[in-house]
Amino acid sequence: MSATQQYLLLLGLMLGTVGVVLCLYGLARSMGPTHGEPGKDVPASAGVLSRDPVWGRYHARYYGYALLFLAFDMEMAYMYPWAVVYKQEGLVALLDMGVFLAILFLGLLYGWSQGALRRQ
Amino acid sequence: MTIAAVLLALMVSAWLLAVIEAWLSTGRLRPVAPLLAGLSHLGRESLLPRKPDRLFFETAPVLLLVVAVLGAAVLPLAPGLVIADLATGALFVNAALAYVLVALIMAGWGPNGAYAMVGGWRFLGQLIAYAMLIVMPITAVAMRAESLLNTAIVASQASLWNIVYQPLGFVLFFIAAMALAFRAPFDLPTAPGELAGGVDAEYTGMRLAVLRLARLVLVITLATATTVFYLGGWHGPLLPPWAWSLIKTLTVAVSMLLAGHYLPRIREADLLSWCWKLGIPLALLNILIVGLMILVVP
Repeated sequence: MSATQQYLLLLGLMLGTVGVVLCLYGLARSMGPTHGEPGKDVPASAGVLSRDPVWGRYHARYYGYALLFLAFDMEMAYMYPWAVVYKQEGLVALLDMGVFLAILFLGLLYGWSQGALRRQ
Repeated sequence: MTIAAVLLALMVSAWLLAVIEAWLSTGRLRPVAPLLAGLSHLGRESLLPRKPDRLFFETAPVLLLVVAVLGAAVLPLAPGLVIADLATGALFVNAALAYVLVALIMAGWGPNGAYAMVGGWRFLGQLIAYAMLIVMPITAVAMRAESLLNTAIVASQASLWNIVYQPLGFVLFFIAAMALAFRAPFDLPTAPGELAGGVDAEYTGMRLAVLRLARLVLVITLATATTVFYLGGWHGPLLPPWAWSLIKTLTVAVSMLLAGHYLPRIREADLLSWCWKLGIPLALLNILIVGLMILVVP
């Protein structure tokens, strides 16, 4: 099977799954309507609507980690092709990536020493 | 034919997992209960909360199910028994499961409820913790197989399973997989007893049924991935290959359940600390050890 066919197959699988879920929703809807009663649609919060917008309830205190995560996530994009040819390239590949990872790891240690690795 | 067989295996495993999960928590073995529970959701009202982000609210359960199925579609259960054996299979599993985060953020944002919102954003912190421990061990697996084809990864373990070859990678991947599937010690986005269900809180009726099914399928997908990457996939004596895949997948899934059954929920700050201060150095060490072993032992 060619790569295009494989991806088309996966697309079909995706659409099929969505189709099954839509059928289930349709079946559930055919069982009867939802009765509109007062207060039924209030989100779970002691029965009253919250005064402030709900997105104000959470502070992303992990932003120190998040910045380091960006660096590591970029690095992973290079790791996969490298991993495939690793055995062919041998010691050269190990040293090349070793230097790269060592610098990245030093970055992690530096971030740690500066207090990036804690809940802010 | 292959597609039907793979999807059937996925559904049967999800059903068995649901039965075992109920058995662990209630002490009673009721094989039909998950099916009845699913059917009963048909007759229940599926409420829409006040002022929702309708698009996000509706997309989240479907998206979670779709990515779990797509992840399973590239994992082989036996020689030839794989829906799409992509040349970038191992990477595709990652790519598909990255959308678990998107689905949970949507489920958190969509209903405009405080508990759901906290659950959704919490999972973003959880992703920052576990993501590296998913991708780095897979890199080491790909190094040994010299390929990202999932069938080649299984074939590379014919003589020695990766759980023996790189046990450190297995432990890290197993823990990260539990965090990705938000199973019990890492169930921060749902957190029953603390967040009133979190991202599940506002879902009712059929939408909730789809969300729960998606969670079960996600666990099975990750257990299959663990089997393919570390437990030698379909390799095993006597029994046919597909049976070995199913047995190993279920064993991994049940051990995830058991681990969650006996461990207290971890705090988000602790999870981030452990993953970054211990997990990532260990994952890099794992890559180094595997790299040296490949060079030294031909």
